[in-house]
Amino acid sequence: MKQEINRRDLFKLGIASAAVLATGKAIGSSALAGTVDFVEGGKDFSPETGAERQMIPSACWSCVTRDSMIGFVEDGRLVKLEGQPNSIRGKGKICAKGAAGINQLYDPDRILYPMKRVGKRGEGKWKRISWDAALTDLAARLKKLRDEGHPEKFMFHYGRMKASSSKIIKSAFLGAYGTKTIGNHTSICEGAKWTGQELTWGKHYDNWDFDNTKMVVNFGSNCLEAHTNSIPVSQRLISGIVDRGVKLYTFDVRLSNTAAKSTEWVPVKPGTDRAVVLAMCKVIMDAGLYDKDFFKFIKATKNRKESTDAKIAALKKHLDTFTPEWAEKISGVPAAKIKSIALELAKTKPACVISYRGAVAHHHGADTERAIQMLAAITGNIDNPGGRCRGVGAKWKYPKGPKDKPKAKALKITNGFKGDIAYPTHGANHQVLKMIKDGKAGRPEIYMWYCYTPVYSHGETQENIDILKDESLIPFTVNVNAYYDESAALADLILPNPSYLEWWDWEDMVSPTQIPEYYIRQPFVKPLGESRDFKDVVCELAQRMGFSLGFNSAEEFVKMSCEMTPDVKAAGGFEYMKKHGVWHDPNAKPKYYMYKKEVKTEDLKKDGVIFDEATGVYWNWKKAHAESEAAAKEKGYTKTKNAYKGYVGQEIEGKVYAGFKPDKVNKSGYFELYSELMEMKNLPAIPSFTPVPVHEKMGPDDLILTSYKVSVHIHSRSANCKWLTEICHDNPGLINSKTAKRLGIKTGDKIKVTSEIGEITTTAKVTEGVVPGVISISHHLGHWQYGRYASGKKSPFAGDNDPDFKLKTWNTYGVHPNWIIANKPDPISGQWAMLDTVVKVTKA
Amino acid sequence: MNKTDKHDYSALARHRSNIYGLLATVYRQEITSNLLYQIKDPQFLGALSDIGLEGIDDLLQNPENELLEDLAVEYARLFLGPGKHVSPHESVHHQRNNGQWGKLWGASTVEVKKLIETTGLGYSDDFKGLPDHITVEFEFMQQLTLREEQAWKEEDADKAAACRNVEKKFIEEHLIRWIPTFCKKVIQEAELPFYRAMAALTRSFIEFEMEEMNRNGNGVELRREGAR
Amino acid sequence: MQEQLSISRRQVLKGAGAAALTGAVTLMPTGKAIAARGEAPRWAFIVDLRRCIGCRACTIACKAEFNVPLGAFRAAVYEEVTGTFPNSEKLFLPRLCNHCEGNKDDKVPPCVKECPEYPKDRREFVTADGKKIRYRGGATYKRPDGLILFDNKLCTGCGKCIEACPYGARNFNKLLISGKDSTKNGITKCNFCEHRIAKGVTPSCVNICPGRARFFGDLNDPASEVSKLNKQFGLVEKRNETTLLPGENTVPTCFYIDSQGALSKMAAAKQKFEKNDAILDVI
Repeated sequence: MKQEINRRDLFKLGIASAAVLATGKAIGSSALAGTVDFVEGGKDFSPETGAERQMIPSACWSCVTRDSMIGFVEDGRLVKLEGQPNSIRGKGKICAKGAAGINQLYDPDRILYPMKRVGKRGEGKWKRISWDAALTDLAARLKKLRDEGHPEKFMFHYGRMKASSSKIIKSAFLGAYGTKTIGNHTSICEGAKWTGQELTWGKHYDNWDFDNTKMVVNFGSNCLEAHTNSIPVSQRLISGIVDRGVKLYTFDVRLSNTAAKSTEWVPVKPGTDRAVVLAMCKVIMDAGLYDKDFFKFIKATKNRKESTDAKIAALKKHLDTFTPEWAEKISGVPAAKIKSIALELAKTKPACVISYRGAVAHHHGADTERAIQMLAAITGNIDNPGGRCRGVGAKWKYPKGPKDKPKAKALKITNGFKGDIAYPTHGANHQVLKMIKDGKAGRPEIYMWYCYTPVYSHGETQENIDILKDESLIPFTVNVNAYYDESAALADLILPNPSYLEWWDWEDMVSPTQIPEYYIRQPFVKPLGESRDFKDVVCELAQRMGFSLGFNSAEEFVKMSCEMTPDVKAAGGFEYMKKHGVWHDPNAKPKYYMYKKEVKTEDLKKDGVIFDEATGVYWNWKKAHAESEAAAKEKGYTKTKNAYKGYVGQEIEGKVYAGFKPDKVNKSGYFELYSELMEMKNLPAIPSFTPVPVHEKMGPDDLILTSYKVSVHIHSRSANCKWLTEICHDNPGLINSKTAKRLGIKTGDKIKVTSEIGEITTTAKVTEGVVPGVISISHHLGHWQYGRYASGKKSPFAGDNDPDFKLKTWNTYGVHPNWIIANKPDPISGQWAMLDTVVKVTKA
Repeated sequence: MNKTDKHDYSALARHRSNIYGLLATVYRQEITSNLLYQIKDPQFLGALSDIGLEGIDDLLQNPENELLEDLAVEYARLFLGPGKHVSPHESVHHQRNNGQWGKLWGASTVEVKKLIETTGLGYSDDFKGLPDHITVEFEFMQQLTLREEQAWKEEDADKAAACRNVEKKFIEEHLIRWIPTFCKKVIQEAELPFYRAMAALTRSFIEFEMEEMNRNGNGVELRREGAR
Repeated sequence: MQEQLSISRRQVLKGAGAAALTGAVTLMPTGKAIAARGEAPRWAFIVDLRRCIGCRACTIACKAEFNVPLGAFRAAVYEEVTGTFPNSEKLFLPRLCNHCEGNKDDKVPPCVKECPEYPKDRREFVTADGKKIRYRGGATYKRPDGLILFDNKLCTGCGKCIEACPYGARNFNKLLISGKDSTKNGITKCNFCEHRIAKGVTPSCVNICPGRARFFGDLNDPASEVSKLNKQFGLVEKRNETTLLPGENTVPTCFYIDSQGALSKMAAAKQKFEKNDAILDVI
């Protein structure tokens, strides 16, 4: 073959090419626009000079904390992320995961085009399709279900979707479409904590006022390392410890970074925090060190009208058997330690009692949260400066989507199996796939998941894979994703989402100062490739199905919200927010003691407001959509469905207070230590001790498997970040030296960890930093997809190279513990009781 | 420079522009039915065969629907995935001596974008790809050579020289630094003769361009004041 | 390249960014305080271990600031569990280049001493009031303000400075070709974000640190935070307890506030970070 071109060839080829080009538009549209024209003076090209970095304020989305941040863009490339100094939440700080966000944007294994599966589901064969083809297909399928009167057969399952994303996708789009078969991820996170709080003080979020506290007692929160409001909270706590001498006691199975910085790490056996808390309550009550004034707002007995003394007596009686010595036997925490910390807590004002997954991701975890609420309440540390406060976040106004939304329908598959769970107020979505397999409550025809990985995040991984793979169980699977993770591999259609550094949002995360902060997320760069923000995509999907959301893009939605929210508008609206990123009212006062506010008499006289004698609740039967006034009165507040939606105020000793307003269940406006709702379901009315059933049956050689998070990884979405995975790419099982000796295991040994579900083989790390009788394996790792940094496996749509690939120093990717953890729920809340797993550990 | 030279340059620029246009089209997206029709034209196939590129005629005999599907699958497999594929972006292949190469939206991407933008061209709003996609680079050359042809016709030697200077710079500093490597990989990976032939054509053409620039590029010096 | 970063950073501070970002970064006192004295600053870095929560924001901020290739770290955090359960402790120790003064006799740190490309050209350091201080450049050299810097143009990639550093603070940069030998790599090490401090902006790791455990400033300026901390904790005076490997006699300018005795406990628990091993951040 000659294959060398001379001029003659060239001319001939040129003429032939001209003919081909004459085909016109059919050959695709040009990438470039305009004509060659040298501008005045001719700008000289040089990458080495004149590089200008543009600063853009935005917000993180690595974890739910969603810190405000700023980014620097140079020549269209995002080069660095820093904290937003003007944010009262983050005060100019972000964490390692936030700073490594750039790795999410430029992950060479990112998905940049809509892809359709061509082989069998999960086989890994894909074809690139156009957005038009993808949306034509999807809209037709969705429209068919809707036209047939079965919009609920479209299930939408999200992991992270907050603030404006939730309003656009969930409220506007899914609302207008008509499905309420919507799953979230809360049961794998802190559902039990939320339910526990809803049963006691109504709302779910709490904020810990570290700026003003003198002492912190911590049950199972790793807030200095990984937390729901990580950076705002951690910097305040460590500063309190060093600058103001704040004492911090951490009850945890593992010597976490939080435990490490504590005045004292108090090791506790998994699932036994409640015994310690109950004993501490007993010590405080018996010593008479309770806050008598707060008892006015406490409901501690069936009869709400009992005197404070009677309430105190009832509580003492209830706590009588929960002695520190009893608790020591259960928890392994010395009785003397329980007593001394309890007394110090009662005498130190203000103090903050905090909790998280370590305490609540267990059987009856919600009751542990109620017990912790009790400890905070009897010491007077509720909603006060320096205490455990009710979360305050920005209250945006926003477009609500079409007015004529249909009455949404739902498949009953998001709250666990019928009768299993008393109050699944945040769902039991780790059981969704099981319920689909079961089929009795119906099955979705289209299962779409967004910022979520149902295969990897839940327990019983193999079953998840088998179900999601089975086309007879779920006919059509769609994943909105920027990365080829374990679940994307089982999709029929992948819609390429951008990274969060390329999209719009307004944000509202809880403020650590009790003053709301308004902030936005704006793109640093145009979405790479053909990736499109799903919030923009739903606007188009709606149009294609013949309805309009009232806005055409996320940007427009954010803009409209800025103009609709009076305070933000007054500050300068959308333009102000784009330039500054954050806003808070400089004259605002922190919100404390909100429950003490009295309700105006005229509010009690409004149409539909009735008084419920049994609970002392004023409520509006019309707002609660009760059948009639008579029916509402007859059934009463507690037993009328959704009565809490009409809550107005709580009568206490002749006055009506705003009280502890209910949010998801029909509790009264009291701080309920005695819960009629619990009693109605044959659960302990006052927080009580119930051992974890599987722990009762443990053999002498059995261990409990717990998991945890490290500071440099997000739950399941960061192993693709090279800088983070470089630091943490293995997750050996932590075993206490005493336990290891008994089992004949040394650091570095290959071990088999076996549960009722299955077996994994991993590596042991013998340590003094975990309680005996436990094996603790961090989450985050053990990916078998998610690109080369996470698993060593190239994604099917990957970019060719990254200069760092050849420098990658690791070839271990960890072992995922979820393979062997049962998807059991807490029967109170639906929380995945992930920390209860009983295992056998042997040398492999 | 005499009139013949000018005419010659003008025609050369036109033909080069068309070839760049064709190549931009080939890599832009999967082959469409219309384009396939034009490619099957004996004139085009003849021009290919003149430079020794044979073997695609047989392929083109297949039924159109099947052929389009096969070519689409081949396109996706070669340039998009699944599995091992050859990224059609300069920054992935252009080896720079400071080690800053091999990543998407790398230093080369930035250079290409800036160079293109200094000439008054911009990325169209519809364009969703990265700024250093092979199609962008070929379109850029298509536009430059088009402008050069126009300059010759207008007897504006300065403008023509300015165009040629940018062309030369772009070929020297970009195209020749990565297109041959890229084409070699495509030739290795291709399963159907079509993209193998196109890659061979691309490589030969860019090599021709480099030689052409070395041979004649110095004949016209850029005179800065001449650039409007 | 680094020079540009800081210029544009200053533009950010001066221009549109300034209004939006009052106090965007902690500005250091480079103005009057230094001008009044007419001497070079004496930069010091202090890590307050009481405040370090082991989060690795510093490690990542540094990676991003310099696009540090995989396998190399300019900043890192070490952690170690010591003691016996239940009285165990977990300790954190951030690591970076100590920007050593060098021993008392010759005031030349070992990395500079071993560099075959030092001393080279004559250079001048201009103080804030215009006074010029002469010094010698090199592939690795010490500036009059105490910074130990690296100039790739002069580097032969011999790696002697890496071997010479008892703290393992230097690494080959496998994506950087050394200036004088294209078959070798240049190095990467902490330069106290020289491009930022030149413009009065704190180093990147200091800026990000959520625990506010990192301090950078001028010991010659009595009003600086580092001077105050030095006074409070006697850091310079007690340098045998506040710096790493005092026995190496390198005289670090990076100090630790160490109320838990982490330096000695970690040294006793593990030899890994003792000598020469390149600093590495792996949990």
